[in-house]
Amino acid sequence: MPKAFLIDTTRCTACRGCQVACKEWKNMPAVPTKQRGTHQNPPDLTHYNFKLVRFAEHLEGDTVKWYFFPDQCRHCLDAPCMSGASVEGAIIKDEATGAIIYTEKTAKDDFETIRGACPYDIPRKDPKTKRIVKCDMCIDRVKANLLPMCVKSCAMGAMNFGERADMLKLAAERLVAVQKENPKAQLCDMESVSVIYLVADAPGKYHKLAVADASDAMKGAPGMTRHEMLAGLMAPLRKNAKQIQG
Amino acid sequence: MTSPETESPAARAIETSCARARAELPALCALFDSFGPVLAARARLREAAPGWSGPAPAFDAERFCQGVFVLAQMEQGQGFQDMSAQLPEAARTLLPVMAQSFPALAGELGALLAAVESGAVGPQALAAAGFGERLELPGVSPQTLHFAAGELVRPFVERQAADLNQLVKDLSWRQAMCPVCGGAPNMSAMRRVQDDSEYIQAYGGRRFLRCSCCSTEWTVKRVSCPACGCEEPDELEVLRDPARPFERADACKRCKTFILCVDTGEMVDVPDTDVAALTMLPLETQAKLQGFVPLAGHPWSDL
Repeated sequence: MPKAFLIDTTRCTACRGCQVACKEWKNMPAVPTKQRGTHQNPPDLTHYNFKLVRFAEHLEGDTVKWYFFPDQCRHCLDAPCMSGASVEGAIIKDEATGAIIYTEKTAKDDFETIRGACPYDIPRKDPKTKRIVKCDMCIDRVKANLLPMCVKSCAMGAMNFGERADMLKLAAERLVAVQKENPKAQLCDMESVSVIYLVADAPGKYHKLAVADASDAMKGAPGMTRHEMLAGLMAPLRKNAKQIQG
Repeated sequence: MTSPETESPAARAIETSCARARAELPALCALFDSFGPVLAARARLREAAPGWSGPAPAFDAERFCQGVFVLAQMEQGQGFQDMSAQLPEAARTLLPVMAQSFPALAGELGALLAAVESGAVGPQALAAAGFGERLELPGVSPQTLHFAAGELVRPFVERQAADLNQLVKDLSWRQAMCPVCGGAPNMSAMRRVQDDSEYIQAYGGRRFLRCSCCSTEWTVKRVSCPACGCEEPDELEVLRDPARPFERADACKRCKTFILCVDTGEMVDVPDTDVAALTMLPLETQAKLQGFVPLAGHPWSDL
């Protein structure tokens, strides 16, 4: 049975417990950073930060409003990054959970193509191992019937995880409740991803890629972005090049 | 294992939990194959059972909060309502499942069903046997009769208890006995309960005790012995298998009792509580070997 997350940003207080728990579970080291005048730290996802709570401030009249967005891989139902991969087995989908997994074979694949294929700009490259990395849905934990670390660590009830059907039901219930006070509330890309965000305002106010980047969608190729189309076109060429290189 | 007749969500949850347990603990497959279908059949009976009928029993909330459980507040001699009218049909449903699950008892269970059908064992006598009264039946051992009658009565008791529990679910209850029937707990579980509050929620969730008689659940202080109330860290021992850290036996060195506990706080799929107890049979045995006594047993506890 496919799994899904519901990330209810209306409950998120940006404690970053999920961000830290993810690093802890995966035994990732600290990364050099600096104060940039925001609590968002590090500034972006890195090869040692698969989860990042993004902060955004917006002036609404005389009030500054904070928007928190715990960003991570969406584990797309039909993942564009898989079509961007040219090495067989580099990116696989665990059918039981729906998790999109990057294997060690990604070290031989083309990072820019795979990153470019992601409509949420999630993949990062580990300079030491050359592997392309991102959230793996804590597949080791989920296979052992344990919640992903980010969900376990969330004390506010913002992170939810379970059967996709249950999460969709919960999402619909929460949307109705949140819309009473926030008419612009919506669920982001819920039809196409396994990580569904509930936002109380326009998604763009949270993060420019809170919803899939379709700004460069090609005319005449409905539903396909330029990234995806280029990835598809180039895939056979890159595959041949890899075979020649061994 | 899912049978076409399975429409009951509780039965489906039991079958799903058994399937997962079978994959995780192949050594205990025989246990799941025996008790799983019985638990599922019992759940179906429970969901179809009539529940508490008529007006709710007279009930004093103040006395309850002082430790007088619901049935203890009724007139002397009263308890769960008579379910004997439903027992012959329940026997036709449950006894064949039990006979299939426990082939060694098939002959005796068949004899009991024949006695129920012929009227040799009346429904009232069968109900009384389910509550522990002695009943003699040629060809059926007292142990088998007690086991089968108890399983037949249980779905109706559980269904009535669920209704009675509605009276008290929001009241304070700090006892180790069941708030509905006064039974001892044979299982506990820690669960995260999602609520709509905007406050921080505990990672571990609340601890629930489960009645061995009517399956009512109630909350209890997490770090304490349910039997004697001991809270001394040195006296409370947690027995567990490192490979299954979410299963444990909470033992008390002071009163030498233990209770099984499943910590579902970080589980994706929360198992049915009975199936969770089945998977913990090795742990239960280990606790007994160390000299601890269960607060109450399960039908499979002495296997």
